[in-house]
Amino acid sequence: MDLELILLNFPYFVSIILFSMGTLIVLTQPNLVKKVIGINIMETSIFLFFIAVGNAHGGIPPIFDPQFPDALYVNPLPSVLMLTGIVVSFSVTAFALALIVKLYIYYGTISAPNFMKLK
Amino acid sequence: MDTVARLPFYCVIIPLVASFCMPVLARWKKEFCAPLATLTTGIVFILTLVIANHVIQGIPISYSVAGWDPPWGIEIVVDSLSSIMIILISGISMLILIYSFTAIKHELERIVTGWYYTAFLLCLSGMIGLVISNDIFNMYVLIEITGISACALVAAKGTRLSTEAALKYLLLATIGSGFILFGIGFIYMITGHLNIFFIAEELALVRDSYPILIWTTLSFFVVGFGVKAALFPLHLWLPDAHSSAPSPSSAVLSSLVVKVYIIAFLKILFIAFGLEIFHETFIRHLIIVLAVIAMLSGSFFAFVQIELKRRLAYSTVAQIGYVFLGIGLGTPWGLAAAMLHIIVHAFMKTCLFLCAGAIAYKTGRKHVNEFTGMGYLMPITMGAFTVAAFSMVGIPLFGGFISKYGLALGSLEANLPLLILAIILSSLLNATYYFPIIGQAYFSQEEESENGHGKRRFQRDQIPNSMLVPIVIVALGIIYLGIFPGTVLHFINQTVTALL
Repeated sequence: MDLELILLNFPYFVSIILFSMGTLIVLTQPNLVKKVIGINIMETSIFLFFIAVGNAHGGIPPIFDPQFPDALYVNPLPSVLMLTGIVVSFSVTAFALALIVKLYIYYGTISAPNFMKLK
Repeated sequence: MDTVARLPFYCVIIPLVASFCMPVLARWKKEFCAPLATLTTGIVFILTLVIANHVIQGIPISYSVAGWDPPWGIEIVVDSLSSIMIILISGISMLILIYSFTAIKHELERIVTGWYYTAFLLCLSGMIGLVISNDIFNMYVLIEITGISACALVAAKGTRLSTEAALKYLLLATIGSGFILFGIGFIYMITGHLNIFFIAEELALVRDSYPILIWTTLSFFVVGFGVKAALFPLHLWLPDAHSSAPSPSSAVLSSLVVKVYIIAFLKILFIAFGLEIFHETFIRHLIIVLAVIAMLSGSFFAFVQIELKRRLAYSTVAQIGYVFLGIGLGTPWGLAAAMLHIIVHAFMKTCLFLCAGAIAYKTGRKHVNEFTGMGYLMPITMGAFTVAAFSMVGIPLFGGFISKYGLALGSLEANLPLLILAIILSSLLNATYYFPIIGQAYFSQEEESENGHGKRRFQRDQIPNSMLVPIVIVALGIIYLGIFPGTVLHFINQTVTALL
């Protein structure tokens, strides 16, 4: 593949790698806090992906200036959507950590294999 | 017309506002929470009836939130599918809330009652919004609202098992919604739109340019919604979450929450992607294979369980298989059967879980081998349980028969007659794990000496009326759907002609 093409689409590659890493961490790590960190990595990769979709090379902030009607603007919509995504990710993290604290009170450990068995 | 167009929006907003009043109200007067939540749901139920009365004349309702027209604003569209689903969601929720009056006092600590209603109403507003929203990013937000509040409904019990199950549910559900969000990102990248109708137009133009990207997007959606709706190999969170939750929560999770994700998937698959992509890619083969495995293995796993609620939870996995089978077939009868099964299963599972809760409330029995003489001790509850179980097996005159018959017709239409074998086999497995419970309840000879006379008599169920009435209404609903499916099928046929 062309090196220039890879460099141009660099954010997409990074986000796919981060997404796979995050999913792997959630599924394989026994430590519950690490699982939560995995969830955060996964969701951050999606934010990166959306921001990369909205970006335009050489684009300026999307504030309309009557002097330059033909200026190239960055698409603001994905960034705005990701604000909502960040809030969702934040609430999931908070809830998961609260549950982990409660499990720690019950079990005295935060290592999943001690209790998260398939039944 | 203008007032009717606003009503679907109110259906989402009213429970949302009420849910945030609950914790405040709980600090002041705890006993007002339950009636207020029920009243709110009742108002929403009446609104949905008005909406459906309007939609059945053949004109879908379309409303732009805050007056911003699509493609920029969020659009709400209520077609015949959404209208019948919002009736189902608000109606079943109302019955479950009536049941919760006493059940919640028994199952939850007093301090969390207010928060329980907060989670319930948030979940209700998320579900209604998900069904009527026409904007995929808005759908994602509502999916998360539904998902997190559903986890809260599981965790509300506060025991060791339910906390564990809630965490498992939360982690896996977040992976699922991550996949969905990535899929939405791909769609936005391909088409530049978030509104389903605009995506459909744009995809029809550009789909030949991005064949691999469309494949990827579809598979991300199948994985994401598969985790959320517990399609077979991705169902691992479901048995724990549904069995360790309080009974009213189990009923709402099993009958409604997993279904709304299927409706959202159906909308994205058939409206946004369209039929041509559905038939060109091999996505329907994948769905059919997974669905058949789900039907058989779900029933098998249910057969092995000895705890009643776990058995019911695994049975849900099998029933989700039926729904996905109908979607995968993609023929008129298959789709109609899938939608009918969503509705019938909502009634059946609500009835079964509420009965299980009522039995545990009265006698404390939770295992399937402890049901001796239950048919005499609690005749009305056990009668409702029997009706739901017969419907689950697919005996004629009960709702489950119609949807299974429709699925069989659908597989003939799709030229896959072998699938009928799988349907029959799964139904037989259903019979093997429901009939022993019923047989034991009515015909077991043990413990006769305890009654003194050697012959048992029927006595009235010793549970509060607020628990008994919802159970009876749901059981009557199953029989109604089995004998007069016409009204519901009319709505469904409208949807099927719109989709295909």
